[in-house]
Amino acid sequence: MIVDAGSLALPIALLAAAYASVGSLLGGWRRVPVLVLSARYGLYTVPILLTLSTAALVYAFVTHDFSVRYVAENSNLAMPPAYTWVAFYAGNAGSLLFIAFVFSIISVVAVRGLASKLTHTAPFSTGLIALVLAFFLGIITFLANPLERLSFTPPDGQGINPLLVHFGMFIHPPMQMAGLISVALPFSIAMGALLAGRGGRDEWVDIGRTWGMISWLVLTLGLMLGSWWAYTILGWGGYWAWDPVENSALMPWLAMTAFVHSIMVQKRRGMFRMWNIVLVAVAFTLAEMGMFINRGGPVPSVHSFAQSAMGWLFLAFMGFTLLGSLAAFAWRLDTLRSRENLDAMLSRESAFLAQNVLFLVVAFATLWGTIYPVFTQASADVMIVVGQPYFNRVNGPLLLVIVVLMGIGPLLPWRRASWQRVLKAIRVPLAVGAGTMVVLAIAGVHRPVALVAIGVVALAVAGIAHEWIRGTLSRHRKGESYPVAFVRLLSGNRPRYGGYVVHLAIGMLAIGAIASSFYEVQRDFVMEPGDTETLGGYTFTYLGFGRSEHPDRSEVVARFSASSGGSDLGPMEARRSIYPEFRMESTRAAIRSTPLEDFYIVPSEFEENGRAVFRVYVNPLVWWMWASGPLFVLGTLLALSPRRERAAAALRIPAAARLASA
Amino acid sequence: MRLSTNTLRASIASLALTVIVVAAAGCSASEVPDLERRAQQINKSVMCPVCPGESIDQSQHPLAVQMRAAVDEKLDEGWSDAQVREFFVERYGSAVLLEPPAEGAHLVAWIVPPLGTALALVALYMVVRLMARPRSRPAAPADEMTAAERDEYVARIEAALEGRSPGSREDAG
Repeated sequence: MIVDAGSLALPIALLAAAYASVGSLLGGWRRVPVLVLSARYGLYTVPILLTLSTAALVYAFVTHDFSVRYVAENSNLAMPPAYTWVAFYAGNAGSLLFIAFVFSIISVVAVRGLASKLTHTAPFSTGLIALVLAFFLGIITFLANPLERLSFTPPDGQGINPLLVHFGMFIHPPMQMAGLISVALPFSIAMGALLAGRGGRDEWVDIGRTWGMISWLVLTLGLMLGSWWAYTILGWGGYWAWDPVENSALMPWLAMTAFVHSIMVQKRRGMFRMWNIVLVAVAFTLAEMGMFINRGGPVPSVHSFAQSAMGWLFLAFMGFTLLGSLAAFAWRLDTLRSRENLDAMLSRESAFLAQNVLFLVVAFATLWGTIYPVFTQASADVMIVVGQPYFNRVNGPLLLVIVVLMGIGPLLPWRRASWQRVLKAIRVPLAVGAGTMVVLAIAGVHRPVALVAIGVVALAVAGIAHEWIRGTLSRHRKGESYPVAFVRLLSGNRPRYGGYVVHLAIGMLAIGAIASSFYEVQRDFVMEPGDTETLGGYTFTYLGFGRSEHPDRSEVVARFSASSGGSDLGPMEARRSIYPEFRMESTRAAIRSTPLEDFYIVPSEFEENGRAVFRVYVNPLVWWMWASGPLFVLGTLLALSPRRERAAAALRIPAAARLASA
Repeated sequence: MRLSTNTLRASIASLALTVIVVAAAGCSASEVPDLERRAQQINKSVMCPVCPGESIDQSQHPLAVQMRAAVDEKLDEGWSDAQVREFFVERYGSAVLLEPPAEGAHLVAWIVPPLGTALALVALYMVVRLMARPRSRPAAPADEMTAAERDEYVARIEAALEGRSPGSREDAG
């Protein structure tokens, strides 16, 4: 009953979204406020309707209603009940419903804000948002209805993909999907302003930046949770494989990173108006491509749980987005002239532009490597693989240059910088970077690439630390205690210091990635129960293993005791599960993680007599990568938080005083 | 003076970082025998033919296990890294390598990213230079202007300048 109601709600939601789209665009164009208003209220009904559909699907899962095809395909009676939530988006239809549901909710929040702040452009932005929503609802209604019934009721379902049975799966896929679809918001806001012919007025910039950064944060967290999942469950000691689906999620992130930087220049200086529109259009196109590759694209990947032909519809939608944006851009080009010129080639503005270009270049190189195999396959029928070694070699140097720029760019003044001033600003970070390299070289780090990479990160971190220390000290001299001075410093210019916090998080991420990719120690051990081995200062004893049978899987658990430098690390357990129905295996590594290094045991083979093969890793500094996650959140929220009036006033008065005395 | 204390602090911070990194790197890689390390490098560059996208180092598939054993065996027999890779390419085709060979038609795969980077940087330079040029003023139509018109023009400019507050700055950093 509720399933049928939820199923019926889908086409109604599609109609509402389509009406909202057409009504809003038409009403904006012909200036009919009533139509715009009614279209907006039409959009408000969509999340209500989709709540019904979502609830219906959850209900079907919880009650094991296997007459619903999607429920039968993605769950079974033996499944742990908590994984109902994961099963919801384990396949195509459910994940599309999830995307539409999430998007409908954030759309309403965004549209309400738009309608109250940007009366002229809101109808166009709302129309575009509703159009995106209508596209998804169309696919769900006609091609991938998760509430569709089978003609019979099977006694049990097929169960959930075992790789998804992991804590990380509760948040990584929904974050990733929400992140990708949320790029539609800054896109629609910017495009709406463009269509309304008001792209040259920077009124859309504040709200566009806000949604851009929210979207960026969600994408960031989605990527990080995905890496964490790969690290703890895929059992290969790594966290990033440059797999096509990872790449397709990384590319929109890169473009959005460019956008959240470049939008600051428009906010502050009224420049880069055309560029920002281009960036956000590129970001949304790449986000669509992310969903396309994930939902049945042509590139083989470990993520290809859900393949289908509807990918090609995504491709068409992607083309439509790109061409439509281009057309709108060309049509409204004359409205996008900059308020001001660049004052000098050496300035914060040009550093931002350089950052943008570098991020787009990395995105382009990633795109190139990802689709190159598709090219050769189609054109010459040659199978070729472009994998991790390629991307490390191509993107590695570019990423290092980006980190250098991250260290130096924020130290440049707006408008105009002289070389002397720049050198003065960067000499401390430069000295720290160089000093770090010298110390490391003496201490025995001899790989040139690793040395340079670590030096570069030290430079970037030192730039931030230097500025924080200097700012705090100068406030302290005016009589504030150190903590107060530090907090006031940060909250005085939140976009700037929030950005620094995020840069610090990037530094942590980079140091973890560099250390673990250059100094990972890996070795395979063949062990009998009772054997003791050592690796990287860790001594571990294989105590034995136990088998257990579960309704959906048979599991082998290997137990270890481990110690490091004489101190006991306690018992460790590594797990290997075999899911006969899926002919699939999943591994859970035994991990002891400290800020210094991770000690990581993966079981690879078990023999009947108890002999087993283990792969053991010592991964330095990986902990820092996961620890950077909260900093990303903190920094973004700081950068987004509205400045208090008092702080703003305090800044304005001295400026006015300076003018009066001048 | 102040700067130098800060330099000191920053140096201390970087030293702390250094110690961490060195300590981490200190677990010497030398306890893994040379042959094994070479085998790992090869394993990471060879794809497991039946599990798309995964290297034989990552994969637990029986075929990957076999291929790893083959790598060990060949290296024991004194083969070079290139020979071992070539061995797999002969058996499974060039798609068995995780990066396209840097030769022949596949050179394109390698050339495009650096070429794109270079082009983008040149474009960046040109755009920045173009943007940094003072905007061309509306050309003063000197020739077609009578003296009276010019006087009025100058007076208007001066009036406009008069009424402006000096250097209205709007941003502080």
